[in-house]
Amino acid sequence: MNQFFLHHSQSKELSGFPHILEFAIRKNNTIQLNSLSLTTSDCIRIYYIMEGKFEWIIQNRHTILYPGDVAVILPGQTFQGENDFLDIGSLFWIHIKVDRVESNMQMVLGKWSGLSERESLTIGRILHLSQTPVLVKMKPILSILQLIQTELFQQQIGYTTRVNQLIDELLILIARQSTLQNNLQRDFPQAFIKLEQALRKNLAHQWTVEEMAALVGLGTTAFTERVKSYTGFSPLNYLINIRISEAIKLLRRDNVKVTAIALDTGFYSSQHFSTTFKKLTGYTPGEFRKRDSLKN
Amino acid sequence: MECIITIELGTNGVRLFAFDLKGNVISSTKASYPTFHSEPDYSEQDPEQIFITMLYVLKNFLIESIHPKKYKVQSICFIASMHSLLAVDAHGAPLGNVITWADNRGKKEALDLKNSQLGKKLYEATGTPIHPMSPLLKILWLKKNDPERFAQTHKFLTLKSYILQQLTGEYVIDYSLASATGLLNIHTMKWEGQALDYAGITVDRLPELCSVFTTPGKLRKEYQTSLGLSASTRIMIGSSDGCMATLGAGVWGEDKATITIEDSGAVRVVGKQVLRDEKKRFFNYLLTENHYISGGPTNSGGVIFEWFANQFGEFKGPFDLEYTIESLIHEASNVVTGSEGLLFLPYLLGERAPLWNPNARGSYFGINIKHERKHFIRATIEGILYEIYSIGKMVEEHRSITSLSVNGSFAAIPFCSQLIADIFNKPVSTINKANSAGLGAFLLTATDMGIYRNLDEAAKSVTFHETFHPRHHDHKVYAQYYQLFERLSLKLEDEFEMIANLQQKS
Repeated sequence: MNQFFLHHSQSKELSGFPHILEFAIRKNNTIQLNSLSLTTSDCIRIYYIMEGKFEWIIQNRHTILYPGDVAVILPGQTFQGENDFLDIGSLFWIHIKVDRVESNMQMVLGKWSGLSERESLTIGRILHLSQTPVLVKMKPILSILQLIQTELFQQQIGYTTRVNQLIDELLILIARQSTLQNNLQRDFPQAFIKLEQALRKNLAHQWTVEEMAALVGLGTTAFTERVKSYTGFSPLNYLINIRISEAIKLLRRDNVKVTAIALDTGFYSSQHFSTTFKKLTGYTPGEFRKRDSLKN
Repeated sequence: MECIITIELGTNGVRLFAFDLKGNVISSTKASYPTFHSEPDYSEQDPEQIFITMLYVLKNFLIESIHPKKYKVQSICFIASMHSLLAVDAHGAPLGNVITWADNRGKKEALDLKNSQLGKKLYEATGTPIHPMSPLLKILWLKKNDPERFAQTHKFLTLKSYILQQLTGEYVIDYSLASATGLLNIHTMKWEGQALDYAGITVDRLPELCSVFTTPGKLRKEYQTSLGLSASTRIMIGSSDGCMATLGAGVWGEDKATITIEDSGAVRVVGKQVLRDEKKRFFNYLLTENHYISGGPTNSGGVIFEWFANQFGEFKGPFDLEYTIESLIHEASNVVTGSEGLLFLPYLLGERAPLWNPNARGSYFGINIKHERKHFIRATIEGILYEIYSIGKMVEEHRSITSLSVNGSFAAIPFCSQLIADIFNKPVSTINKANSAGLGAFLLTATDMGIYRNLDEAAKSVTFHETFHPRHHDHKVYAQYYQLFERLSLKLEDEFEMIANLQQKS
């Protein structure tokens, strides 16, 4: 395949696509010192390796990429060549601008994307949590990139919509593959423990079943069924369990206010917290706190 | 109508049974909680999560299955896994997570003590093998490596002590669980001073010792209300999972043994005397002052076959482990006895009895060009059961065993039960009830209520479901391969250490 380089500030092909910052194929035949030194990405960078072996450090993790592999670098993540230069070989890439990055690295794509805000947040969350910036043997990514290339250069009727759809497809494929790669879809307990850790890390978030299911790489129906048979609880009830047990820990620290505990553990009000707590434990949060501080 | 509820706080989750006073199961339910491994050797659980899970499940269970049928709950009896440790402060608030039996952080402490004169003495006095699982060594580890937590600790509890304290306000521990802490003298039934000194604690850091029949206190009012139980519902402290699984297996005689294989496994016998062993390979736990439950535990149970299934099984749908295991067992049954000379050492998690070597590792031996995937399946199962047999043989150095009772999700697979009968060359019975620990706790409670005169009579009431008879031709084949299995396990000691060291570095 021939080399090309499109940049949003100078390439007319990208004039209708302010969110595509760069789109290129490069054959790197020589090593140039400092050609890939440390940068912090401000967009989503997707690299597909076509030839050669690339040694990169992405978000402080050493990774080796071979042909067919894909590296994904999210906004805010650091990126550099192992030796500060770009290795010999060829690669295909696209840089996609995001509208904004919320707390917890949640990305919101621009209006161009057909993904709903929730979907794009979930995809961002999955990519961020997966912590493996490399997807191996991802031939389908190459096909999508090639289709984008064809659309951009031929500019047939409807190409703007097509290109944007293809970028959505690229992101969806990457998100799905990244959960699949992390969970072999075999060991449910292991996949579930990863989910549990993600939940505990951000208990204040209003988790939905869709988000939880996506992290395990299942559809919501199959996910709910699995969780029920494995834990004995529906996903949301399981989540409430974790919330209450965290709340109990916080209640035992006298210096944390009940309202703060409620919000920290993901209840939308102290009223909601109190009712749920009482229903489960038989005590209101206040009574529970009093019980253990008076007792001894 | 009255009923008895048993609550088992197991390694992976909580399991509840309700029995009528004749011992029929009215209903059962379960729920799981996770184990966290923040470091490779760590194995911890969240005490609040376990408490809330238990409470939630109990409440739903009562509302859905017990109250509508107009059963009055006479007693609630508790069972728990052995060797857990939870430090709590003066307010009863946990200092960190529960450290489970599978936690190996005290490796070095265990090795030091094992090689000392005191180690031998403590093993004989406490009945607990010198191993990182022992709470004695976990406390010692905390003292050395987490002095702050150690200093703040008001009580060192087991998980069950904590749960009962939450429910009743009292700090108690039954003799069974206490005898698995490495801190109790199983002969005098008092905390062992030398062990306490070694751990660096005094008696007041430990909960109060009670018999397994004790009622520590009343259920707190708030829980009575929220659960819909009356003040007369009795809380019974109960025993350990190992002791209860043995009682519930109905094996109560010096010529019988119980084999339990869930994720991990054990071979156990009951007796009025402990099993004394120069090589310190047995545990001797207390059920009552007249009953010792002795035997050996293994790490290599169903968890090893699950590992195999996860790696090499064919999955029909995502996460469909049950289907995968079923079809693997089916494939294995089409391979001849002895897997045509393919042997498997199942020590993927190190091994406890009889090797007591955390560095032991797994291996397939004797692979030739004719071996197919299916041979590996069968060899894996045979290897797991040879390991069980090696514990059985160790027990037989002290007792002559004529029959076996098996329980636990892996051992109760008919294919496995038959293999156990063949390998041991002894008849194997399975009990009618799915869960022998729950049944054991029922028998314990019923005995205390006077339904049975004593535990011996209670154990005899257990009815057997199916008996597998040994097939002599198969036994002969297994006996030959077992010799090789044993030789390999012993011979590889140096190599186990070398590979474990290399693995630690990588």
